Amino acid sequence: MSSEQIIFYILSFWFIASSLAMIFARNAAKAVLFLVLGFFSAASLWILLEAEFLAITLILVYVGAVMVLFLFVIKMLNIDKSTLRAKFAGYLPLGLIVALIIIAEMTLVLGGAQFGLEVMPSPAKHGADYSNITVLAMQLYTTYVYPFELAAVLLLIAIIAAITLVHKNEINRKKQSISEQVNVKAKDRVRVVSIASPSKENK
Amino acid sequence: MIDGIKKLAKNLTLSELRSGMKITAKEFVNTKITVQYPEEKTPISPRFRGLHALRRYPNGEERCIACKLCEAVCPANAITIESEMRDDGTRRTTQYDIDLFKCIFCGFCEEACPVDAIVETQIFDYAFESRDGSIMTKERLLKVGDDNEQVISKTKAQDAKYR
Amino acid sequence: MMELWQSFVLGVNELMPWFDGNVAAIVIILIKAVALIMPLLLTVAYFTYAERKVIGYMQLRIGPNRVGPKGWLQPIADALKLMTKEIIFPSKANIYLFLLAPILAIAPAIAVWAVVPFDEGIYVTNLDVSLLYVLAIGSIGVYGIILAGWASNSKYPLLGALRSASLLVSYEIVIGFALVTVVMIAGSVNLNTIVADQQGGIVNWYFIPLFPMMIIFFISALVETNRAPFDVVEGESEIVGGTHVEYSGMTFAVFFLAEYANMILMAVLAVIMFFGGWHSPFEGLGVLESVFAWVPGIVWLLAKSTFFMFLYLWVRATFPRFRYDQIMRLSWKVFLPMTIIWIFVVALMTQLHIGPWFA
Repeated sequence: MSSEQIIFYILSFWFIASSLAMIFARNAAKAVLFLVLGFFSAASLWILLEAEFLAITLILVYVGAVMVLFLFVIKMLNIDKSTLRAKFAGYLPLGLIVALIIIAEMTLVLGGAQFGLEVMPSPAKHGADYSNITVLAMQLYTTYVYPFELAAVLLLIAIIAAITLVHKNEINRKKQSISEQVNVKAKDRVRVVSIASPSKENK
Repeated sequence: MIDGIKKLAKNLTLSELRSGMKITAKEFVNTKITVQYPEEKTPISPRFRGLHALRRYPNGEERCIACKLCEAVCPANAITIESEMRDDGTRRTTQYDIDLFKCIFCGFCEEACPVDAIVETQIFDYAFESRDGSIMTKERLLKVGDDNEQVISKTKAQDAKYR
Repeated sequence: MMELWQSFVLGVNELMPWFDGNVAAIVIILIKAVALIMPLLLTVAYFTYAERKVIGYMQLRIGPNRVGPKGWLQPIADALKLMTKEIIFPSKANIYLFLLAPILAIAPAIAVWAVVPFDEGIYVTNLDVSLLYVLAIGSIGVYGIILAGWASNSKYPLLGALRSASLLVSYEIVIGFALVTVVMIAGSVNLNTIVADQQGGIVNWYFIPLFPMMIIFFISALVETNRAPFDVVEGESEIVGGTHVEYSGMTFAVFFLAEYANMILMAVLAVIMFFGGWHSPFEGLGVLESVFAWVPGIVWLLAKSTFFMFLYLWVRATFPRFRYDQIMRLSWKVFLPMTIIWIFVVALMTQLHIGPWFA
């Protein structure tokens, strides 16, 4: 076995192990951390395939931002495990059916017939001056420019929708205007009034 | 409108932040005012009220005549005095304790003393290592007085004209 | 010596054939890593000393001067104190996560340095996506703080961690957008290429066309490293010590190390992105260039980053702490629009080929 294969098997083992641990972890925070470990293993596998850009982006977006927000939410929630468990058995048959369907679909789509070494040979090794990003950008901005732009517009719509949802009940909300607070000057708050001095009047 | 543009320009050029940083930069190169304490000391007023001392006359006789005026005037009840007649017929203290935990360093004992026996010195950096160390006995007070007589007489003379 | 080394390499290759004869390469990488980390940790130690001195000077004091001549041994004394102190575990804390937190804080802070170019050809590794690597690994550091807050099972650490999580996520976006402008000019996300592109004197450095982005980057770096005036994560006056409350001894020291290593990194990054990295400021100035030609590039890089490190301390000595929601407003309503506007400005400048930067 070459060193590459050994590294591949180690990383794949970690990936599968951490994914399983994520599912079976009882503590939600630990589950998130196992998911992070899974992302790392996946990113390392991609680096093995010389897809550094995708690997780094996976870590940057998912580990650096999405999972942080997951942890953030988990800390805010007070999860009551007993109520979750109570309904577990009731959902079991439906869950099993869905899981089986997904497994069947994945074996059909991602099986050896489509992704085997005969169909997809391992990518050729490139020299040190090969830039993964340039090739990716060339593809994105020429061949796939319309799907790319469509996806961008879709995300923009999602952002606007999210912000609109937050601002739905604006009228009943008490909020501070920070820019007003920051830009306040002394003359906005204090009025200097000159009052005639009584001692002068007495003269 | 003009005000708004002015405000925006001021904010974007960070003018307020820059003026703040200018001040700290100026102080950065200024002469430092730190006093390197054990080596350097700030001047102390002759009226400074620090650790107590019992004085003696130049001939070696202790000044205190056990009149107990200081004990009476002490607002914190920090002074305890016991007295009896000495062989030569004068009244002297057998016990003169000041509890430094109680003492508030008001200087009333010094004011009340008719013979300038109890005084407060300029010593402020004293320490004790056990709880009973807080009690200044007669011996310790006399020792403080003996050790610092020169300084005490000098500061008292400096302050005398204002009394 | 050479023979011994060769026989060692051969022996290891025989024992472990799966290394494909790469033992020498691995050992060299390890030596490089040690040569990077040791000076880094020493710099961190003396950066804390410099911080106390500089802030002292700005407050008309003279700072630490008792341990060793002029206080030069102060950081070593501090390190010894922290090492010998007891590590206290909160009674209902999650011990594994509690200990994992400082590790997750320090590991990325050191790992990021792998791609930092100190001079032409002086780096641990030349990754093609090194700028993204810096951002990605740098963003992992937040896990240390979040886990510290969560695993301590204590309310102030939790509050600090919540603040930290939302702050870091929002300011990562700002830093990312600010650095997009740099990438647009350089046409590369490789730090080596970005520095090489700024060759040819001060006029070619990126801080001239990207001046607002440089300021935004620096301010966001203050937030990312939890430094004053944005140190709401610690916030001594409001939440005691934030995430550090339950940490003592060496576990606290590790957080401390991570924070300062990150600060130094941000200073070096600012120089690499906007101030020409290892290039001499006298390039293209005739006589001056030849006078300073003997100075190695790494000296220029370190000198320039020292200025930014000083700026960190200067800012800390000057400004009071921001209120939490004001920092959030600064990120989303001020910095983000500004960076996006500047991306369009840079795009325009690229199209019009303005100055030496967009040739």
